[in-house]
Amino acid sequence: MSWTWRRPGRARLPRGEGPWAWLAAGSISLSLLLLALLLVLLAARGLGHFWPSDVAQLTLSDGRTLAGRAVKQTPLPDSEGEERLYRTGNRDLDGDIWTWVPVADIATEAYPADLVVLERRRWGDFIGRLVAWMPAEGERLEGAAAWEALRARMADHERQREAIARLRDRVLLPLAGELEGRGADPKAARALSEVEARMRAMHEAMAGDLVVMESADGRRIRLPVEEIVRARHPNDMGVGAKLIAWGDGVWRFLSEGPRSGNVEGGVWPAIFGTVLMVMLMSLLVTPFGVLAAVYLNEVAHQGRMTRLVRIGVRNLAGVPSIVYGVFGLGVFVYGLGGRLDQWFFEESLPSPTFGTGGLLWASLTLALLTLPVVIVATEEGLSRIPDRQREGALALGATRLEMLSRVVLPMAAPAMLTGMILAVARAAGEVAPLMLVGVAKLAPQVPLDGDFPFLHLERKFMHLGYHIFDTAFHSNDVQAAMPLVYATALLLVLVILVLNLTAIFLRHHLRSRHGGLSRL
Amino acid sequence: MPDSSSSPLLRRRLRQGRDRLATALITAGGIGVIAAVMAIGVFLAVEVLPLFWPDASGESSLSLSSLWLPQPYPGLDEPVYRWQPALPEGDPGPRFSLAPLAWGTLEAAAWALAIAVPLALGAAAHSALFMSRRLRAHLKPTLELMEALPGVVIGFLAGLVLAPWLERHLGLGLTLLLLLPPGVVLGGALWSRLPGRLRQRLPLGWSALWLVPWLLLLWALAAWLAPWLEGWWFGGDLRTWLAAHLGLDYASRNAIIVGMAMGFAVMPTIYALAEDALSGVPKSLGEGALALGATRWQTLWRVVLPAAAPGVFSAVMIGAGRAVGETMIVLIASGNTALMNLNPLDGLRSMAASIAIELPEAAPGGSHYRLLLLAALLLFLFTFLVNTLAEVIRTRLRRRYRRLGDTA
Repeated sequence: MSWTWRRPGRARLPRGEGPWAWLAAGSISLSLLLLALLLVLLAARGLGHFWPSDVAQLTLSDGRTLAGRAVKQTPLPDSEGEERLYRTGNRDLDGDIWTWVPVADIATEAYPADLVVLERRRWGDFIGRLVAWMPAEGERLEGAAAWEALRARMADHERQREAIARLRDRVLLPLAGELEGRGADPKAARALSEVEARMRAMHEAMAGDLVVMESADGRRIRLPVEEIVRARHPNDMGVGAKLIAWGDGVWRFLSEGPRSGNVEGGVWPAIFGTVLMVMLMSLLVTPFGVLAAVYLNEVAHQGRMTRLVRIGVRNLAGVPSIVYGVFGLGVFVYGLGGRLDQWFFEESLPSPTFGTGGLLWASLTLALLTLPVVIVATEEGLSRIPDRQREGALALGATRLEMLSRVVLPMAAPAMLTGMILAVARAAGEVAPLMLVGVAKLAPQVPLDGDFPFLHLERKFMHLGYHIFDTAFHSNDVQAAMPLVYATALLLVLVILVLNLTAIFLRHHLRSRHGGLSRL
Repeated sequence: MPDSSSSPLLRRRLRQGRDRLATALITAGGIGVIAAVMAIGVFLAVEVLPLFWPDASGESSLSLSSLWLPQPYPGLDEPVYRWQPALPEGDPGPRFSLAPLAWGTLEAAAWALAIAVPLALGAAAHSALFMSRRLRAHLKPTLELMEALPGVVIGFLAGLVLAPWLERHLGLGLTLLLLLPPGVVLGGALWSRLPGRLRQRLPLGWSALWLVPWLLLLWALAAWLAPWLEGWWFGGDLRTWLAAHLGLDYASRNAIIVGMAMGFAVMPTIYALAEDALSGVPKSLGEGALALGATRWQTLWRVVLPAAAPGVFSAVMIGAGRAVGETMIVLIASGNTALMNLNPLDGLRSMAASIAIELPEAAPGGSHYRLLLLAALLLFLFTFLVNTLAEVIRTRLRRRYRRLGDTA
């Protein structure tokens, strides 16, 4: 660049660096800006979804009335003005939960306090007004009394459901397991049918109550109360009440299973599957990774061959994860799994037991995938330990095993931990290989339960990353699924960020402790 | 007493025996683990080979030329490249040409590198030479975190947020591309005209942070300029203009979107390695140039960069290896249409994405299955070779730095 950046007649420091220096600075700020935008977008959309925002009631210029939550606003195609998308719910009445409204057509917009939002087990949300409460026995109520009765009944249902779940877990399932194990035992069979009858009675006690609801445009519908999960008056709630409702929403997202084709409900099975798979994987990968690192760094002759192997191992970290998935499918699932099925599970063939993707194969594949990470990190830790430590131990008469197990490995423990955490962080975010070796869109049974052998390695499992992919691209109504996808993505990113931060912190700690020590 | 004299000896024997046993076990285990990892390549090669063996009739079902050269198909006038593993009933056999997949893979990687390399190298140069130490100590872990962002999240944002946004704001995207570089340079020019006190408040070493609001300002300016630019230059709508004048179709999920998302994912990798190479150059070299009156940018361009060039090159190669193998981003953001054209606004289908979609459905042992394994083998070989080359270059470079550092 021939043109200078100095003011004429000024030649003192700092001198101009020319445009390229600024472009370099700009590229780093742009990267930071994009990263910040990504995180803010995830946080805002993911957490905002649980906020019970106000519901608007609109009267349009053509006389129609509708109630819903505004989602977004875009310019109308081919004309001036804008249109707004409302989430109006009521899929059972309208067939769709979305309504586009041109902004110019809105005559009045109000936020009446009596609008009710019902969260239902089927059909999604209902938005409208409560007209009447019609219990199975007792008198029909209207107005505020109906609302009170509904709330009381729903709290009652909550307790009933908990009682049923307790009964199933503590009594029914053990009894059924016992029966399966011992064959026909009349006493246990009688106990089982008694419990089943009791549960049926409890379910029946919950059924029968109805509420009469009215949508904003005046259509009436009767809803059974046991279908309703939550009932709220969002326009009548203060900030405090909304905050409580928001916390409740976040908690239910984390603790419940998905509903209506993964578009609603929570992600608990996916969290559980991810954590269980990653834990199994780290159990597999840590000992083998440390073993290989100790061999490479402490036992093997440090010659050309070892150097080549070291480079090879390091490069395996750069091999695409999908290739590991292919290996897992070919060797573990079709090879080992097929063989295991022939030997031990012949009675259930041709439906495969281990010969299809499952928890075990997924953990093994990811363990292979993260093995280079653990080996490299552990080796780095081992090579930071000065030779005088090893020589001191040997000079005092320790054998090599004692030197390794009492001096070297304890000193390298933080490095191993760092390697393990990095491996976990990498594995938690991998989706592509899992698509080949055992992840499922919806796994009704978690792989860990009270049935022998408790941990079901052959079962398919749900995974947060795959849940994002599947919900965002294979659900019927992507628009409706988006908020949950954002929330799931935020959760996954948070988990991975926390894991990585821990690894960075540990490594920093390790460097400052052994930083002054060098091999020479 | 026999006990006191024999027991230390016995204990020593025992200890030595245990030691030998443990060493043997560690050796066996270490070699076993390493062999297991290395077995991936062998497994893929063994599974792929039968594809090229002649079958019972003496004819090999597939040959290299049928995979990589245009083939004549009934109903088409001239030989073409097609990847259509599953056809509707009534069609003659599946069409296996790996060329479109290889093309898609390389096209996606090329766009990703076109976006990641300038960003990463600029960032590396800035943080190695200009940035204040304190900021750099915080920035490196931040970008490491960026590297750890899962591909599925980046892909989801690219496919469901960026793609629709760019489809609606194509003009704004182009304006941003045109406006940002000169805008940043203009920012630098304005900065050098600031009064001295204010300039000390905004030192060059922290410009990575204080340029962010400036970028947002430029963004706002671009949003204001975009309709005007589109109206004046492209007759109101960029997309119709592209279709009319250049004959380019616009697919919502296209190579540019993939390139942007994957560039974002690959950039931290390239940055970290290139920054290591640049800041590893012995200080004496750069200081000598500065002492002779070079500006810092001249020092970088004429002294530091030539010394670190192999390291920077290997950083780019490792980035290329990642971009070629990245699966989820391409799977989500590319539209997965096996096309072979130069239009960056059209979809593509990469090998990795094909494997992820088709392998679970392919019958084990069939030609489709083996072809997908061949694609995996190609990916494996490509990344392994590229990474090995990069690693060898980096090892050489490190040795050179040590020599340079010693002589200085």
